Amino acid sequence: MSRKALVTGLGFITSIGNDRDAVRRSLRELRPGLERIEFLGNPSLPVRVAGTIKDFQADSASWRDWRYPARYELPRETLRGLSAHGLYALCAVEQALEDSQLARGALTDGATGLYCASAGSAFMLHHHLAHLHAVRGERGNPMGVVASIAGTLNFNLAAHYGIRGAVGGFVAACASSSHALGCALDDIRLGRQTRMLVVGGEEVNAETLLPFAAMRALSTNADPATASRPFDRGRDGFVGSGGAVCLILEEETLARARQAPVYAELAGWGQAADGFNIAVSHPEGAGLAEAMRRTLADAGLAPGDIDYVNAHATSTPAGDRSEALALRKIFTDAGARPRVSSTKGLTGHPLSMSGVMEAAFCCLALREGFTPGNANLVEPDEACAGLDLPTQTLETGPTNVLNNSSGFGGSNVCHVLRKV
Amino acid sequence: MSSVPSPQPSPALAASNDAIQTLGRHFPESVRQAYARFVLTRVPDDADIVVMAVMLDHRPDKKRAPTTVPEDTLALVADLGFDSVALTEMVFFLEDLFGVRISNDEILRVRTVGDLRAFVRRKLATQPGAAPPA
Repeated sequence: MSRKALVTGLGFITSIGNDRDAVRRSLRELRPGLERIEFLGNPSLPVRVAGTIKDFQADSASWRDWRYPARYELPRETLRGLSAHGLYALCAVEQALEDSQLARGALTDGATGLYCASAGSAFMLHHHLAHLHAVRGERGNPMGVVASIAGTLNFNLAAHYGIRGAVGGFVAACASSSHALGCALDDIRLGRQTRMLVVGGEEVNAETLLPFAAMRALSTNADPATASRPFDRGRDGFVGSGGAVCLILEEETLARARQAPVYAELAGWGQAADGFNIAVSHPEGAGLAEAMRRTLADAGLAPGDIDYVNAHATSTPAGDRSEALALRKIFTDAGARPRVSSTKGLTGHPLSMSGVMEAAFCCLALREGFTPGNANLVEPDEACAGLDLPTQTLETGPTNVLNNSSGFGGSNVCHVLRKV
Repeated sequence: MSSVPSPQPSPALAASNDAIQTLGRHFPESVRQAYARFVLTRVPDDADIVVMAVMLDHRPDKKRAPTTVPEDTLALVADLGFDSVALTEMVFFLEDLFGVRISNDEILRVRTVGDLRAFVRRKLATQPGAAPPA
């Protein structure tokens, strides 16, 4: 592939911070973003911790009730079609545009595209369907569909910013924004687009998160300080989170010509499915191992070239074990020992936005020279034998980073990000 | 009385009626009081105050028009900046607030501020008693 893609802008609304500096500080100092939360006003629920979004109040179905930082000026024509994670996404895009030194007008050139990932707003959908039932189908909020269904991010952002290139959404549960990022890279490599905005977003509420408790996938540890502990023997499930992250990807010559700030090169990606189970990952991480292998081949790298892996590890007993075994197969068996950490010990698990959020974390690590540690890792699972799992953030930065994501149905997607 | 049955809100809707909640939280006291009076007495002038406030609130581009109640002759689209989505939003809001049903054909005939004012008056006169409790 002759065309290279560079990351030139980032925007963050996350549990560990609502701008780049706050996120970087959290990653360097291992400051977690988890808090006690009471879902549905029910104190007896066993799930009591979440990765919350601070400085936003968007738990109403009416945008008129929302409160958000004054720096964001959002017109009612846009607000009326949003759900909470759409609000987060707009704010993340605003940050990324400023970070990348891009004016809004630059997005309307037809050479700029937008790929998004979210599960939609279960809260908003439930609200509007409850109304529809209450009036026996007589009427409904005209913005209910576009504010609710999966795709709400791409509908709203494309219209708000006047984007005229490739626009679409990806639905692969917790691997979704990694698919979005990989396909964005392909579009740039193929010359179809010269700039891509990749956005992931999710909501932190009962409607999005509690269904995972029904699957017994959420932690019932009530202590925010220890509930999310990827790779640790004491882990008992993931801690739900949300927010939104935007990553701007630009073809190298375009980025260089406009002297854009550059975080890293997105150097390759790959995917492979487990073909095993609808919800449980392959016990030995077969699909994830193959996805890592394909990604390294796409980037033209050997396992020994990777010096940091941002793991998907969400803190579930089965998932973390599968990933640890897959990492050993790819790296340990090849005599390589990159540092491995899951930043979900800090953030919790924001579902489909994980991939782009963690790619953005890797960009910070690459440009600013640090390697995030594993928060809350006290006693590593025996499945992690031989892996290098730092428990503190290291003040040395990586050169080549592998970023893993896995989703329902055994979808596995990986990326390589390279220091420039 | 109209022979067409009014779509009465169910108890579930009355408890979570977005329009009533929004009126209560985001509209001026004078408008909230006018709505409360209308629910009790059904005096058309009170409904008129509410309808004009709802119309002003739903203008997509607030920079294009004055914030005071505009003249009856002004067109919702050409003069006040309404688009079809905002018109639909406003209609849905009024339907929920007053418990009436408004068809596409009816709303397409409403072009000016005066049309809207007159249309809602006629609608409330032919579908009495439909407003949910405030």
